[in-house]
Amino acid sequence: MAEKEPKILSFLCNWCSYGAADLAGVSRMEYPSNIRVIRIPCTGRMSVKFILAAFRQGADAVWVSG
Amino acid sequence: MKNLMEHMGLDPGRLHFSWISSAESTKFVDVAKKVTAEVKALESKEKKFVKTKPKVA
Amino acid sequence: MDESKCIACGACTEKCPKKVVDTYNAGLAKRKAIYVEYPQAVPLKYRIDPEECIYLTKGKCGTCKKKCPVDAIDYDQKPENVTLDVGSVILAPGFEPFSPAGLDNYQYASHPNVVTALEFERLLSASGPTHGHVARPSDGKDPKKIAWFQCVGSRDMNRCDNAYCSSVCCMYAIKEAVIAKEHAGDDLDCSIFFMDMRTHGKEFERFYDNAKNKSGVKFIRSRVHTITPLQDTGDLELRYVTEDGALKTDVFDMVVLSVGMQIPAELVSLSNKLGINLTPGNFCDTGTFTPVETSRPGIFVSGAFQGPKDIPQAVVDSSAASAAAAELLSGVRNTRTKEKELVPEMNVLGDRPKIGVFICQCGINIAGVVNVPKVVEYAASLPYVEFATDKLFACSQDAQDSMVDLIAEKGLNRIVMAACTPKTHEPLFQETLTNAGLNKYLFEMTNIRNQNSWVHKNNPELATEKAKDLVRMAIAKVAMQEPLKETELDVNQTALVIGGGIAGMASASSLAKQGYTTHLVEKGSRLGGQANNLFHTAKGESIPEKLAEMVKDIESNDRIKLHLNTELSNVDGFVGNFVSTLSSNGNEETLDHGIAVVATGASPYTPSEYSYGSDDRIITSLDLDKKLMAGDPALKKLNGALFIQCVGSREPERMYCSRVCCTHSIENAIELKEINPDMNVYVLYRDIRTYGEKELLYKKARQLGVIFIRFSIDNKPVVKTENGKLTVTVTDHVLQLPMELEVDLVTLATAIIPNTDEKLANFFKVAINQDGFFIEKHAKLGPSEFPTDGVYLCGMAHYPKPIDESIAHAKAAAARAVTLLARQKIFSSGTIAQVDQANCAACGVCVSICPYSAPSYAEKGRFAGKAEVNPALCKGCGLCVASCRSGAIHLKGFDTDQILTQIFEMDEAV
Repeated sequence: MAEKEPKILSFLCNWCSYGAADLAGVSRMEYPSNIRVIRIPCTGRMSVKFILAAFRQGADAVWVSG
Repeated sequence: MKNLMEHMGLDPGRLHFSWISSAESTKFVDVAKKVTAEVKALESKEKKFVKTKPKVA
Repeated sequence: MDESKCIACGACTEKCPKKVVDTYNAGLAKRKAIYVEYPQAVPLKYRIDPEECIYLTKGKCGTCKKKCPVDAIDYDQKPENVTLDVGSVILAPGFEPFSPAGLDNYQYASHPNVVTALEFERLLSASGPTHGHVARPSDGKDPKKIAWFQCVGSRDMNRCDNAYCSSVCCMYAIKEAVIAKEHAGDDLDCSIFFMDMRTHGKEFERFYDNAKNKSGVKFIRSRVHTITPLQDTGDLELRYVTEDGALKTDVFDMVVLSVGMQIPAELVSLSNKLGINLTPGNFCDTGTFTPVETSRPGIFVSGAFQGPKDIPQAVVDSSAASAAAAELLSGVRNTRTKEKELVPEMNVLGDRPKIGVFICQCGINIAGVVNVPKVVEYAASLPYVEFATDKLFACSQDAQDSMVDLIAEKGLNRIVMAACTPKTHEPLFQETLTNAGLNKYLFEMTNIRNQNSWVHKNNPELATEKAKDLVRMAIAKVAMQEPLKETELDVNQTALVIGGGIAGMASASSLAKQGYTTHLVEKGSRLGGQANNLFHTAKGESIPEKLAEMVKDIESNDRIKLHLNTELSNVDGFVGNFVSTLSSNGNEETLDHGIAVVATGASPYTPSEYSYGSDDRIITSLDLDKKLMAGDPALKKLNGALFIQCVGSREPERMYCSRVCCTHSIENAIELKEINPDMNVYVLYRDIRTYGEKELLYKKARQLGVIFIRFSIDNKPVVKTENGKLTVTVTDHVLQLPMELEVDLVTLATAIIPNTDEKLANFFKVAINQDGFFIEKHAKLGPSEFPTDGVYLCGMAHYPKPIDESIAHAKAAAARAVTLLARQKIFSSGTIAQVDQANCAACGVCVSICPYSAPSYAEKGRFAGKAEVNPALCKGCGLCVASCRSGAIHLKGFDTDQILTQIFEMDEAV
């Protein structure tokens, strides 16, 4: 790859944003492919640890969405 | 959290929070585009993206 | 369309050459002749519109059949007649929105910028034709001024035949105006033209108040007669008369017609066929005490066919109708259920992970974008992966069967499925695991369709990279997955109902009729609650008579154990296994029960306003009912009687409408007019809220000569007694002048106030709103239950309501309770929190933070005092896990290690 595409790690709530992401698919909307999804049961599950771990692992950004 | 990131030399623009209901696919796509665009903008601004590994996780 | 084959890939719709008007989007958009009704449809299956399909109408085309990868298209499907033997029937046919096309003064048929509220609803919707951005249909311009017209097709006998009020339009108009302003910002001008503002639902009055005072929606009390389009501008000129008689002209960009509900003609003929009676408005006729029973035994009704109503009320009705049907059929419950054969589960604990990876092509849906063979090859190279393959359609029956075989053949003990979304397909694949003898939690699904191939179709290379990443993350996670157990719990088959009023009695009676032993607890010495004070219903039934029947029914039922003069002094336990302490005159007994219904009711407000208490001619509505019940001869001799509405309701300190008082006063006004037609009867009101067909009573009262005078909250009537004369001074809204009325009786329509019971709320861990009423699980979809499992809610403890709605609510609570009781056993989910008690610091954060009260302190054993999580109550949200400072709580299936490993595997390069 000539230019490295940034990787965005996203934590999506199973009931909200994950559903929205599914629906975006059903509607065949398009968006950049930089997002890697981790499905979590609820944003309550989120922990600062995860965000730090993601950056340490080289994530270019973290997106938490409930 | 964002303060901590700044302290560690990470641009707070790399962390995003949003709230989207399961019916708001349009909003999901908009936010996905926005987050990606902002990160790409940061990427080109910083050119060389060097992070110092924090000592403790 | 063969539904069992359709995989909702959408290839048919994409290629279908025929475009038709999209009725789901109220005609504002186009769809294809083969389509899915709306994106969130369940099940997600496509269908052919037989009236539009070119093949079905002209015999040519067949494109969809060629494109369908699973051969699901069947043009020969015909309507079938199916004969069913059933014990009861529930009618839930709904309503049709009134069509304003015939009202030429409103230009609906001829002008694109005059839309119905349903069309506007689609314009506001994120999934609508404009993605939620309100654009004017004529030119796509952002509107700056929008007007709503209320009562279009309701409360109108001149331009249409619908005399009733449609109940929901005031609230939806306010909602639409507020949302439109939220989207467009403050410079959008929203005006609602109305006759009476009817926000009689729970939390509605506050919403109305906020719309007016915070959102800046304008409310104009006027019925606009004519809309005049302004030439080519697309703008609309309205002429209307304000309350003080001034003629005004104003120009708007758009007009929204708040259309009412009506019963379609087909439904009237169906009703005739079924032999059920209809009301004057063509709604299904029901009794106040039998709100979901039609005139024909065994046929029940729910929803708007029974009368115009909003969603929560329709949800209540539907549960109530199912309870009524179940009462009839309780003897045959579970006679047709089949037991499923279980495959014994293999013990894989401690075995080295042997992961099987299945990559679904989903026809071309995934394979058309993602390079599936490459992903398979890549997956096979990863640690612990024993076997990787692709499947054309992983969800098809043959693919499932081959998965079962492969699990056995290759000795797989963890499975990764890369396919569509776990939200729809995870249960299906988990069942395949169960059938193969694997614990269903040894499974991870990753979404490479909805969240990859479908949204990145122009970037196959990156989509393939993303698929590889997602598969790698899933493999890493599943390797750490352990078999999970679903805890089984018995459900005690006894019910407890708290409150012996109309709602409590109706609920207990329904539960008993469905076969459950029910304890009915009443703190007072007699049954009936507030109904003991009431005279007759809006439909004219005698309340004392019907109440006596209900009490007799309760007392003679062997399954109902009545506890009068009894209160709850403690509640322990949880869903299926409550232990309550009942105390009566100092005696305590404990009761084991599986569920509880809270029906603690409400009380009348004792007014301090309008000189109440200073003169015995100033009374409350309930006092008047008493006089009417006793047949007080003095009533006949009155020259003038006056009612004052909203006494204690819709005030800043009590920002809710008590819902029943307008109807109650009008009923009694009619009663007085009938006793003595020469009596002068006045009703002083703020908005008359005779919703539904109660509107007919309002009409009747006016016809009988009852005089209605409106006042505003900042200029209330004044009641005075001087030299034995009782006078009321009120400023007439038409004349704008104070009038003095001399009367012999003033009746105050007092508010209904909740019996706020914080003790009970604590016992069952349920919440109370700022007005003091209990908060239900969901304002729209869960009106008869609490968020706490096994605890249900009905009657006026929820919100003020008339008897028919209380009884429907009571039956609904019983129906919801039976869905739990009838299962006899409940299984907790496997993905729940568990405390590692050795590491627990007993700080109590988890106990206080959990919204479901699942964690508590262990009472005995080695770890007494440390936290433990009740698996029956845990919903697996993970809040406690994130809050635990000792890292002692683990969320099975989403444990910290598992999420961290996904994070670590995100980027291969590092």
